[in-house]
Amino acid sequence: MANQVRKYGFVIDPKRCIDCRACLVACRAENNVPLDHTRIWVYDQGVQGQFPNLSQQFVPYNCMHCDEPPCVEACPSQATYKRPEDGIVAIDQEACIGCGLCIDACPYHARYLNPTTGKADKCNACIQRTQQGEAPACVATCVGGARMFGDLNDPSSDVFKALREAKTSKRLKAIGSDTGPNIYYINDTVDEQSLAITESIMPAADEFYKKFVIPAVIAAAGATFLGQAVAFAKQLSKGESEFEE
Amino acid sequence: MTTEVLSLAERKRLRKTKIRKHGLANIVTHWFNVFSWFLLLLTGLGILGNPDLKIMPQGYIDFMRNLFGSIGGLVETHKVFGLIWLFVITYNVLLGLRKYFVPFAKKRMLLTHDDIQWLKLYGQKLLGRKVTLPPQDAYNAGQKIYGYIVILGTVLIGTTGLIMTFGYLLPADMRWLLQWSRPIHFGAVGMVVAGLVIHVYMAAFFPEEKSAFFSMFTGEVDALYARLHHKKWYDEKLVEERDYEMRVRLEEIEAKEESMAELRE
Amino acid sequence: MAYEIVQLSRRSFLKLSSASIAAAGLASLNWSSAKAATKDGLTTDKIVPTMCEQCVWRCGVWAKVRDGKIVKLDGNPFHPHSNGKLCARGQSGIMTTYDPDRITTPLIRVGNRGEGKFRRASWTEVLDLVAQKMLDIKNQYGPEAMIFSSTHNLSQPLFENLLYAFGSPNYGTQRSLCFNAMVVAHLTTYGIEEPGRDYSTVKYILYTGRNMLEAISTSESSDLMSAINRGAHVVVLDPRFTKTASKAEWLPIKPGADLAFHLALLNVIVGENLYNKAFVELNAIGFDELAAEVVKYTPEWAASITGISVDTIRRIARDFAAAGPDAMAHPGWRTSNFINSFQTERAITILNALVGNWERLLIDSGGEGGGIALGKPQQPAYPRVTAQRLDGVPWKYPLVPLKLGVFQEIRDNILTSKPYQAHGWFIARQNPVMSLPDRSKTLQAIDKLDFIVTVSIIPNDTEWYADVILPESSYLERYDPLNVVDNRVFLRQPVIDPIGDTHSALWIYKQLGERLGLGDYFQYTDEVDYINQQLAPLGITVDAFAERGCWSPTLTQKTAGERSSCFVPQVLSSEEPVEVPFELKAYKLNTPSGKIEIASETLRESNQPAVPTWIEPPAPSSDKFYLLSGKVGQHTQFATQNNLWLSQVYAENELWLNPKAASARGINNGEIVKVTSDVGSVKIKCKVTEGIREDCVWMTQGFGHQSKGLKTAYGQGAADSDLHMTFTDPVSGGQALSQTFVAVEKA
Repeated sequence: MANQVRKYGFVIDPKRCIDCRACLVACRAENNVPLDHTRIWVYDQGVQGQFPNLSQQFVPYNCMHCDEPPCVEACPSQATYKRPEDGIVAIDQEACIGCGLCIDACPYHARYLNPTTGKADKCNACIQRTQQGEAPACVATCVGGARMFGDLNDPSSDVFKALREAKTSKRLKAIGSDTGPNIYYINDTVDEQSLAITESIMPAADEFYKKFVIPAVIAAAGATFLGQAVAFAKQLSKGESEFEE
Repeated sequence: MTTEVLSLAERKRLRKTKIRKHGLANIVTHWFNVFSWFLLLLTGLGILGNPDLKIMPQGYIDFMRNLFGSIGGLVETHKVFGLIWLFVITYNVLLGLRKYFVPFAKKRMLLTHDDIQWLKLYGQKLLGRKVTLPPQDAYNAGQKIYGYIVILGTVLIGTTGLIMTFGYLLPADMRWLLQWSRPIHFGAVGMVVAGLVIHVYMAAFFPEEKSAFFSMFTGEVDALYARLHHKKWYDEKLVEERDYEMRVRLEEIEAKEESMAELRE
Repeated sequence: MAYEIVQLSRRSFLKLSSASIAAAGLASLNWSSAKAATKDGLTTDKIVPTMCEQCVWRCGVWAKVRDGKIVKLDGNPFHPHSNGKLCARGQSGIMTTYDPDRITTPLIRVGNRGEGKFRRASWTEVLDLVAQKMLDIKNQYGPEAMIFSSTHNLSQPLFENLLYAFGSPNYGTQRSLCFNAMVVAHLTTYGIEEPGRDYSTVKYILYTGRNMLEAISTSESSDLMSAINRGAHVVVLDPRFTKTASKAEWLPIKPGADLAFHLALLNVIVGENLYNKAFVELNAIGFDELAAEVVKYTPEWAASITGISVDTIRRIARDFAAAGPDAMAHPGWRTSNFINSFQTERAITILNALVGNWERLLIDSGGEGGGIALGKPQQPAYPRVTAQRLDGVPWKYPLVPLKLGVFQEIRDNILTSKPYQAHGWFIARQNPVMSLPDRSKTLQAIDKLDFIVTVSIIPNDTEWYADVILPESSYLERYDPLNVVDNRVFLRQPVIDPIGDTHSALWIYKQLGERLGLGDYFQYTDEVDYINQQLAPLGITVDAFAERGCWSPTLTQKTAGERSSCFVPQVLSSEEPVEVPFELKAYKLNTPSGKIEIASETLRESNQPAVPTWIEPPAPSSDKFYLLSGKVGQHTQFATQNNLWLSQVYAENELWLNPKAASARGINNGEIVKVTSDVGSVKIKCKVTEGIREDCVWMTQGFGHQSKGLKTAYGQGAADSDLHMTFTDPVSGGQALSQTFVAVEKA
């Protein structure tokens, strides 16, 4: 977007994650996330290898704040939107009707339905904090320094520098489409399949809506309108008479 | 069927004679419905901003969103208007159910043999052929069919609207209900609006139905219009009038006889 | 309902439906201002700086308050322990305060012990009752018949006032269950309890059982990750593949063999002349004696004991020495594992001495309270105590400092009535029913006592068996005495008003002291007055802390925009290696010789080896396992399992078992197994993992709560204290927590 001054994104170094889960609790507190749900994750990839040659990877994970977010495409009321000023994908809770299409649409499974509000919820990069110049709660409290956040367009930002100095960097790709995710995993190999990243799903109801109902309604309303327009034109050309019966 | 020939004098007399067609409750309900549909349509179309779903140009959507402050404001307004509309309509229907709607539905809404004939011939008439239409009741077949559409539409729109308004109460595994409500809501509105185009045109612009249009304000149509377009109903009205006159005359006669009897005493 | 409070009048029920008050607070917290959070970002009414108490590391906290409720805790960037961060436990402090199971009025037991039936009482009633009971015991049996115990906390000085003024020698702390071996070893070698650690130049770190990334100390765990990122080499000796091990070179050493490994390192470093001669000659005594002793501890010898190859031992010894003063053998924390743990700790102190990292990586930070001298209210001298201590210090454990004690030994003396019979137990902020080994023995001892009173926030296991429970305000609702860290004074102050009828320890101890006729030991009017008396020598009052929560002589003026400057998005800590040239200096230490004592005369005098010597630890028979326990990053000891938010990230413990051992017993991952030791048995879910030696099982402590008052934690997992046997190290008094051997079978 031309007027996008900032482009906020995350840079995550799984090698620095110690799986302490401080981020999960910080996010719950900061964003009133109800029990048994979460906005962010740390995936423990389990102990790999044979004793005593073992390895274990922890992958911090949350909404990718995609360049072309399928959730935004799916949202009927545009409650989910990509902020033009910084690229954060946010939810206008008032506009959300809770249909859950965005939850199915997100190939990263980064959304959940909040049972107390009946609305979709997800990581909003703690807009309320970043607006005050604070880092998102998960980033600010990250004990291992694995989570970083900032302006990917700003050469002086931490994320820009970390990305420039990274040995490797990778964005996790969804199946079947490139949504332009804005989490960069650096210095370590992260496997999409192990994180159960899928393709974007469009439920039958939505497909029915888009492929059948809309054309049908446009055709029906268009036809009647056209018919009446013709009749009206005929009527006008005939001229009006006081004693028409 | 042969066309009746009405004399000019008769036509003049009938044009001046007014027959009551709609009660006040009917008129108010109608215009409340018009007003509600108008607002709901305007706000509803403003909500549908998703490029895959939107009907109106972006400028209109932006205008509506700015007018109501935000998408949220628009959604909330749409819900509130919808609830008010649904409440009033439901209330009116329930209130007049036994005294008005059930008899009305039985007497005026069923399609008769004449109606089906009318439908066939009216199509030919629209194509420019000169036809003689069978006599119609208070509402012609077209109006009756649109009535069905409106009733069906109201039920669908109201139900799906309620589901979406109170969707936050649904458990997560009932989300499909909310998802299916959207196309049904939209489709039902589309169906009603398609009919509405004809309804509005016929009423507001079509010269033959001018009298019907004004009756939605005054409640009365002129007798000539009734005689030409709703012969069955007109005849009914004539019978009613004759009965009425008979009754009045009988009363007059009885009154006279009584006074005569008194005099006799 | 399992947890009952009986005899409620209707009025008191209405007035004191405490749980529902807390629950209401919680509910409104969850519902509040989601809109504002996404819209304006103006989410906070005020920020109160205070201090964490989710563990003993005491990070600085900035507590955000909205509509009278705590909504978020952030790390105080000025506090050297938090550096702007909090761990999962620190982040969930809100739920410690809003725990729906909080005790919010004083309670007096009405049912049998362990039945969980209590009635609510007023403070006047309970304080009078407790004082009367304590005085009765004192008059009838002497003050020593009253045991006092408390775990490391800021109001400990007032607790000590209470017990020493009362006249009891019986003071139980948690230390012998934790770090006695480390503390006594450092006192012997360096004359300090525990050195501070500076990671800024470190290049080589050797952790002996110290699980720095799960037993989290926020700043130090952070420092370690930065050091690793800078390229520091980390070696972890642990029979279990911990999260720390996953970031390091993991050596799955045989339990109890750490000492052999370290002795072999000493053998190579001394034998190959790799040590810092100049430093050792200038600052240490007894090197020659060490050299003579370690000759026999060859890597070949150690390899057979530790299960670590000769090449690895030799390589690590050489690399460690090559890193010189930038190599650190970490002192460890809970190092009381085997009866030879004290020798292991001594070997660690000497490894550090040989590379000369003193005052470079290991520093004398003065311990807590060092740096700034605080005042305190005047008080008379304590009465002279002549009675012997029930924990055997010093008559049985001459080298153990009195203030550490040997907690686990007290029970035997309660049960045997020797040297005398104890009658009462005052327990503050401690959970001995869970923390002491051999829970059944603890419960027997409790059963033998006449009177048990506890100070607590939640109805934990010890409260479950108490006669009177004094409810304390949570750490976000109260003042505590000041804390000094790195030349800065830090304050814990209330963020919100206390929930229910709870009070600070400062208030409780004073009230009780006055009723015991010991008012002279508590000469302060309230908490703020106490703190102001502490601050008097500095010429400031508690008001100086309102904004920042800390004060320092070098930081007297608040600079404009200071707070906002701390809110900038996190900056990566320095990832560039810092090169600081080694500087040879002479140090004056607080040991008898004033030098680093590689050979200790104090030990020799107590008939202990003066230099580290191999002691063979016991080993299980082939059909049994070493029962290992340790921490996870989400819980603190026995206190946090009921926290709703922490329960979300770690709900129950599991028994780690190697796949080979599992398949030999037909045990599948996730199945319930029965674990049996000589003193008890538990049933627990089994986690079959390559990440543990075949001869070991591991479980974290703190689960298997018996108190039904803990609605979240009750029924979750199993308690290691049901299995642990009591073994006390004769030198340090430390409980050898890894010396219990267990059988595992399908449940």
